[in-house]
Amino acid sequence: MLLTVVWLLPLVGAALIAFMPPGLAKFWGVTIALAALAISIGVAAIFVPGTQGFQFTESQPWIPQLRIFYRLGVDGISLWLVVLNAFLTVIAILATPLTTRHVNRFIALMLAMSAGLAGVFMATDLVLFYVFWEAMLIPAYFLLWIFGEGERPGRAAIKFVLYTLAGSLLMLVGVIGEYVFTGQKTFDLALLATMPPSASIQFGLFFVFALAFAIKTPLFPFHSWLPDAYMAAPTPMLVLFAGVMGKAGAYGFLRIAVPLFPNPVLWWDWRWVIPVLAVAAIIWGALMAIAQRDMKLLVAYSSVSHMGFIVLGIFAYNVQGQQGAVLQMVNHGLIVPALFLIVAWISDRAGTRDRSAMAGLAARMPVMAAVFFIVTLAALGLPGLNSFAGEFMTLLGAWERAPALALFGAIGLILAPVYMLRLFQGVMQGPPAGPEPKSDIYTGQLVLVAPLVLLMFVIGLDPNVLTSLMSAVGMPGLAR
Amino acid sequence: MNPDLSYTWAQALADLSQIAAIATLTGFFLFAIVVDLVLPKARRGNAVAIVAAVGFSYSLGTAVYRWLYGQGGPAYHGFATGDNFALFFEILFASLGILTVALSHSYLKKRGLLEGEFHILIMAAVIGMMVLASATSLVTVFLGLELLSIALYIVCGFVRTDSRSQEAGAKYLLVGGFASAFVLYGMALIYGGAGTTVIPEIATRLTSSSSSNPLILLGIVLMGVGFAFKVSAAPFHMWTPDVYQGAPIPVTAFMSVGTKAAAFAMIVRVFAGGLPHLAPEWQVLLAFVAATSMIVGNVMAIAQSSLKRLLAYSGIAQAGYILIGVIAGGDAGLSAVNYYLFIYMFMNFGAFAVITLLAGPDGDRDSFADLEGLGRRNPVLGVLMTIFMLSLAGFPPTVGFFGKLFLFTAGVSAGYTWLVVLAVLMSVVSVFYYVRVLIPVWSVSTRTDVVPSSLTTRSVVALSGMASILLGIYPTTLLLVGQLAANPNPGP
Repeated sequence: MLLTVVWLLPLVGAALIAFMPPGLAKFWGVTIALAALAISIGVAAIFVPGTQGFQFTESQPWIPQLRIFYRLGVDGISLWLVVLNAFLTVIAILATPLTTRHVNRFIALMLAMSAGLAGVFMATDLVLFYVFWEAMLIPAYFLLWIFGEGERPGRAAIKFVLYTLAGSLLMLVGVIGEYVFTGQKTFDLALLATMPPSASIQFGLFFVFALAFAIKTPLFPFHSWLPDAYMAAPTPMLVLFAGVMGKAGAYGFLRIAVPLFPNPVLWWDWRWVIPVLAVAAIIWGALMAIAQRDMKLLVAYSSVSHMGFIVLGIFAYNVQGQQGAVLQMVNHGLIVPALFLIVAWISDRAGTRDRSAMAGLAARMPVMAAVFFIVTLAALGLPGLNSFAGEFMTLLGAWERAPALALFGAIGLILAPVYMLRLFQGVMQGPPAGPEPKSDIYTGQLVLVAPLVLLMFVIGLDPNVLTSLMSAVGMPGLAR
Repeated sequence: MNPDLSYTWAQALADLSQIAAIATLTGFFLFAIVVDLVLPKARRGNAVAIVAAVGFSYSLGTAVYRWLYGQGGPAYHGFATGDNFALFFEILFASLGILTVALSHSYLKKRGLLEGEFHILIMAAVIGMMVLASATSLVTVFLGLELLSIALYIVCGFVRTDSRSQEAGAKYLLVGGFASAFVLYGMALIYGGAGTTVIPEIATRLTSSSSSNPLILLGIVLMGVGFAFKVSAAPFHMWTPDVYQGAPIPVTAFMSVGTKAAAFAMIVRVFAGGLPHLAPEWQVLLAFVAATSMIVGNVMAIAQSSLKRLLAYSGIAQAGYILIGVIAGGDAGLSAVNYYLFIYMFMNFGAFAVITLLAGPDGDRDSFADLEGLGRRNPVLGVLMTIFMLSLAGFPPTVGFFGKLFLFTAGVSAGYTWLVVLAVLMSVVSVFYYVRVLIPVWSVSTRTDVVPSSLTTRSVVALSGMASILLGIYPTTLLLVGQLAANPNPGP
């Protein structure tokens, strides 16, 4: 029951808030998100580490004719993403300005998206997974389109939806294929992982699943929806959109593509194609980030680069790599929302998002500069902050699989300081230039970003907090 | 078969009970004609509408009763049947009749077309559809087909002052006549090969060795062409957009669901029920038709600026998806077809009902601009329209997704993976135009005029909207019912 509440509560809340007067929407939105967070943390607290199998499982026949079940469960991998999602939902709704047009609808859509994401991470039945996976697109589309920024948010929204759908509808064929070709007539993920079909069928099915996940993550060269969508997305939405939804793709790789298809080899071996693309994403994203003057776009491309590390870790096929990947999913989920928020606040005060149009802001807004500095250091992987352990573990895992992957992946580590420090130094340091900022960071904003920064320190100093629970894995097929 | 000339009262009653739903509706149909004759002109429209609604309800009740408690079996020397397959479609068509009466009443009033004939013709068409569903002989199949078509030719041109409606009627008549001729010729050839028109007997007489008989193959092709006309599948779809656009909206809504479902009932009954041993032959034909329909329908829909035309092309594409289930056949395929046809009624009818509300006294308003600001002017309607479009596009958790899931699962299981992959790719295209409909609904608009209100039409929209969600979240029962009705061959 607990897990059902975790996704149903935000959804019911969304339905109620949509018809509330706008004045009440934020209060109730935060209340509901906090309740969902409390339940998620409760689940994490009772969670038993070190055991096999899904925990808190729920199983109800849904469509018996096709043996489709309503199956939920969490393990050491998904637990953290469920908590992260609930946590970022609170942050995102808190970050929503009350002046937003139709703020009640905005918050309702955010809660609906959060519900869909929670469902994706908890579903252990392939059809249920697919239902959540697709359903979360609907609120995301409307958020992007109706509340989007820029000149033509509608274009960015439809591009995002069509891109994602092209992958995920093909994934539907894969879902059906798993049911038919394994000969088991089941959609149970844990069961399917024990009986992979023949290598040539794995080859085809891996392709359709991996395509969907690669587009969602996004992996090079399927990332071209991302700059448009991230540019159009309003900042509170980005907290969830970049913080959690991107992880859904990586999670799909880890939950479905890796365990269900251990040997996807026919004309070539997919197990080598994906990590090579991941390395390409790391380098390409970093290079593109260096080239950007628009701060929001810079962060967006840095996200492509960081997601590459996560996928690289997953396809290392060993414990370090995959643990690092999950750890890095959480880390990135903390860093990217913080970056987007700070960049939005700075550009709000400076009146432009062009990083070259401002300089020396640190003297005029010291607190903002301090927060920004910490997040920058976390983003470039400084030891002692959260990202270091995760990226180190993914690279270590990749090294064990093939040193070349790790060597090329490490280029991303070298490039990250380039674009992050250039951003920070250019904006914050040097002689003051550009428009006078209106003010330093507001107290409310500081309170908002403080838990993110705090967690960066906590995880950075003791990543075992997370990794100790990750040994509890729900299904066979992972390299652990 | 020796013609048995003895026919007792008991036999007559038993036969009649097999087609009870049709008989009930026919009784009300005749009564409606009398009412239309005797009442003064001003009161006819309302009175006939009430008779029609009551007739459809009684027919629905009869069909449901027979489903629950009746014993289905052959009637009239094997010319008709009251099996589950027939009852399922009778329930569908009677429900459709109720929805159509509710939808058209205020529309007709608004446009000053409130005349008794309209509902009488709709009843005749529904009787035709029901005959089609319960027909187990090529003769009765054709009887139902013509009854259905002739009634529709007239209602399509019902707006005598509107030349487009006239054009629709004339066009439908000409093309429909063609299709009927094709079907009839095909049936004649099959009769020549099998020596009988009774479908279960054809199934036993035409074995797989008949595939070497060119006349039988020609018969299959000719019937297939005629059927494809009727389900509006490409490449025989040319009439659909024009007729859908010209006909009054409630008629378009009725046709888009009813004719399609009836034609699918006919295809399943004749092909899957009557020619099971020749399945490889007609499967190839239908696979070709399905593939073209999905491509043509989805690609052409993108360019449309009229909602009616857009839904016409979407209907062509949907026919392609449904054909996958027919081709896959078997329990899984045919139950998926039944499920899809039933939910298609709600999602498509709902979308048309929203457009019906927008119509003015001078004519239909079905351009994108007419939807502008709908979400602001009436949020509930906006949300429901969104549900219908998302459902047609196949987004979970709406019914459209589950319908596609069942169809595609059956398709892959039967080895038609290529067809399913094509369907999936074309679904991506379809999302583009379905979502395009939503853009005016939710975009910022200065329009504040109130959406015309009509209690009956709104209840149709609300009911369809609820069904489009609930039957998706809980699809089991409907799928089970569809499964029980998945045997088109009632046996000799």
